Amino acid sequence: MKDIIQIKNISFNYPDQPILFNNLSMNVHEGEWTAIIGQNGSGKSTLARLIDGLIVLKSGQIVVDDLVVNDDNIFDIRNKIGMVFQNPEDQFVGATVEDDVAFGLENRQVPREQMHEIVEKSLKQVGMWEFRDRIPANLSGGQKQRVAIAGIVALSPKIIILDEATSMLDPRGRQDILDLVYKIKQDNHLTVISITHDIDEAAGADRVIVVNKGSIVEEDKPDNIFGDISKLKSIGLSAPFTSQLIMALKKRGIDSPYQYLNDKRLIAWIKKLVSTK
Amino acid sequence: MDQEISFNQVTHTYQADTPFAQNALDKVSLKIAPNSFTAIIGHTGSGKSTLVQHINALLKSTFGEIEVYGRQITPSTTNKNLKQLRKHVGMVFQFPEKQLFEESVIKDIMFGPKNYGASDADAEKSAVKAMKLVGLDASLRDQSPFDLSGGQMRRVAIAGVLAMNPEILILDEPTAGLDPHGHKEIMDLAQGLHDHRNMTIILVTHQMDDVVDYASDVIVMDRGQVVKHGTPSQIFADPKWVYKMHLDLPSSGEFATRLIRAGVPLEKTPLTIENLADEIVHLIQGGNHTDE
Amino acid sequence: MSNFLFGRYLPGNSWIHQMSPQSKLMLSFYFVIIIFFANNIWTYGTLSVLILFVVLMSGVSIGYFLKGIRPLIWLIIFTVLLQILFSSGGHVYWHFGPFSVSDTSLINGGYIFVRFLLIIMISTVLTLTTTSLAIADGVQTVLKPLKKVHFPVDTLALMLSIALRFVPTLMDEMETILNAQRSRGVDFGSGSLRHRIQAAVPLLVPLFTGAINHAENLSTAMEARGFTDSEHRSKYRVYRWQKKDTISWIIFLFVGILILFIRNN
Repeated sequence: MKDIIQIKNISFNYPDQPILFNNLSMNVHEGEWTAIIGQNGSGKSTLARLIDGLIVLKSGQIVVDDLVVNDDNIFDIRNKIGMVFQNPEDQFVGATVEDDVAFGLENRQVPREQMHEIVEKSLKQVGMWEFRDRIPANLSGGQKQRVAIAGIVALSPKIIILDEATSMLDPRGRQDILDLVYKIKQDNHLTVISITHDIDEAAGADRVIVVNKGSIVEEDKPDNIFGDISKLKSIGLSAPFTSQLIMALKKRGIDSPYQYLNDKRLIAWIKKLVSTK
Repeated sequence: MDQEISFNQVTHTYQADTPFAQNALDKVSLKIAPNSFTAIIGHTGSGKSTLVQHINALLKSTFGEIEVYGRQITPSTTNKNLKQLRKHVGMVFQFPEKQLFEESVIKDIMFGPKNYGASDADAEKSAVKAMKLVGLDASLRDQSPFDLSGGQMRRVAIAGVLAMNPEILILDEPTAGLDPHGHKEIMDLAQGLHDHRNMTIILVTHQMDDVVDYASDVIVMDRGQVVKHGTPSQIFADPKWVYKMHLDLPSSGEFATRLIRAGVPLEKTPLTIENLADEIVHLIQGGNHTDE
Repeated sequence: MSNFLFGRYLPGNSWIHQMSPQSKLMLSFYFVIIIFFANNIWTYGTLSVLILFVVLMSGVSIGYFLKGIRPLIWLIIFTVLLQILFSSGGHVYWHFGPFSVSDTSLINGGYIFVRFLLIIMISTVLTLTTTSLAIADGVQTVLKPLKKVHFPVDTLALMLSIALRFVPTLMDEMETILNAQRSRGVDFGSGSLRHRIQAAVPLLVPLFTGAINHAENLSTAMEARGFTDSEHRSKYRVYRWQKKDTISWIIFLFVGILILFIRNN
């Protein structure tokens, strides 16, 4: 599988601040959902901004879909990446829903007739077409994030980066957005990077990268990462629900051969236990 | 004296006579017991925030009376009388760090007590205490609050409310945007204030796990009305009703419904992981399991 | 800030909603100018009939407009009073030192009041029926000739559109901050002037800090969405001149000429 994003030995710090990344390297595989998890202040969001060329790297190199992130390639790279940011309010540029979806298209000087077609299609994909003439003040946070996603879908990128995109939503809104991004990812064969501190969101990923204090602690499948509750706790994260349940069962003498199972497999395992009692 | 919070047929209409007019509260009657830990839940726009803003009279009712610890608020109560009430009801808004404005942490925390007439020395004393209470290191006292991390800023804001020594503390989504560690610290702080300082805690939240883990009472709001008031186990007993209110079950309950759908015959909706584990164990051991 | 209407667009599909923003903008200016030509009951009457007709065509309820006046009521009363007390001539009913009230001054006061009402109503129609983006677009079209002298018309229009879009956001934030500081014991709007100014600091500092944060995040998001400069962009919305615009202009021009004839010269 191709590494659609390659981060090679990067170092970075904000002016007058301690070093955030020191010689950090990692890769993101094409077509996968990669979760980058870590505490607030661990440098996760900075990483997303470096990938998109929104802040300039001090040393090292980032390659996105065979293009080196630098001034010459920056616009080609931003055509490949769609970013959803944390605060739904602060990425809504347009006066209404449709104008906001059109914003990225206008920036790329897409002709008007095409724009109207694309905007309609994108809004329908996220289920916001009926809301097209609403102003942002009359939308919920989750609806605004849907519009942001439509704005990204409109540009047909290869990669979507969710920069704590669900952290300001309520649990229901959070799940809705994740389900939507998952569907869009599958339909359009995209790569998704989700930067989050929501463990249950990360548990659904194909691969998880744990970042703490600017360096990578672990990089593996969720199964291998979420088995070690105490380790997660030591870096300020909680364990996924399923690991906690496995622990609670173990305490009651029901030993699991696994430290971690995803929802589906845990349900299957419990079902088997109960029916073969 | 019944020292409690009570609402008697309280209605609040926003923007009367405009196309945006809506009854945010519709004949709400309720009682909140002193020293209780009450969670207020309901989907977005159900009237939760409007409800709590009546408790410290940031909003006045259009009709109906409210009594807070023996003080009456009616639609005709004047603003002068409200200020004294507000001293006793601390309110932590969503993203409270947005209210910080002073040049140093200590000054910002002293702001509230000074507004209520405390001397500089007394205000400082309460501020230092409040900093300790929320777990802010004393070395931060003269720093600008704007140089702190998001989590620390939030604690400064909460300390600013606690420094007024309120008897009632209202927390509106106090953990929004925090990571799990920060989340737990704030919730544990609320619990500590309840357990050790006899504060009445009112928590507005979307996090059903917090409701189960921390609250003793739950008020469910829907379309400006109180539709249920009870203990967490009473509230979550009927998953179908919970979903109808556009709410979620706590994680364990959510997981249990999926188990039931997959054919695992659980009997009750468990509220915590411990409950759920117990029930599963009970099923596995079948009839052999006979304690209780 | 529930009665603050500026920047609050009411979606709709009325005749006025459908007009092109540049002609709405120009007609509003034009209307304000002809208001100053009105000087008797007939001219003010004609303009009032016209504005009531416009309000009717906009499909927005009249009570809404009256609400829009509320924040300005003291300014209006003050100006009207000045007019009544200081204008001279006619039959004097009452006088004291430099102040006097006469039939002329009462009538002038009434005219000033109507003038305010007319200006507020036309601008409220404009903002209620036109999205902020459309207003910005209207400004852009109206100012287009200035491009020849290298005036950054497009940038200005985009800035205006974003500023208008953030008005409701900042109003909401202001309300939250007001409430938060009120719960910390601040009395807004009472006490001496010095006290009031002091009370504004805990409101303004967080409001500005918040606005700067919004601006920073927004510029990052705009950049991520491929924004470089406001010149090299295509346009999603284009407002074509329609029959409705022509008809409106004819009506307004006719009223303008009528005013010139029936005013006292």
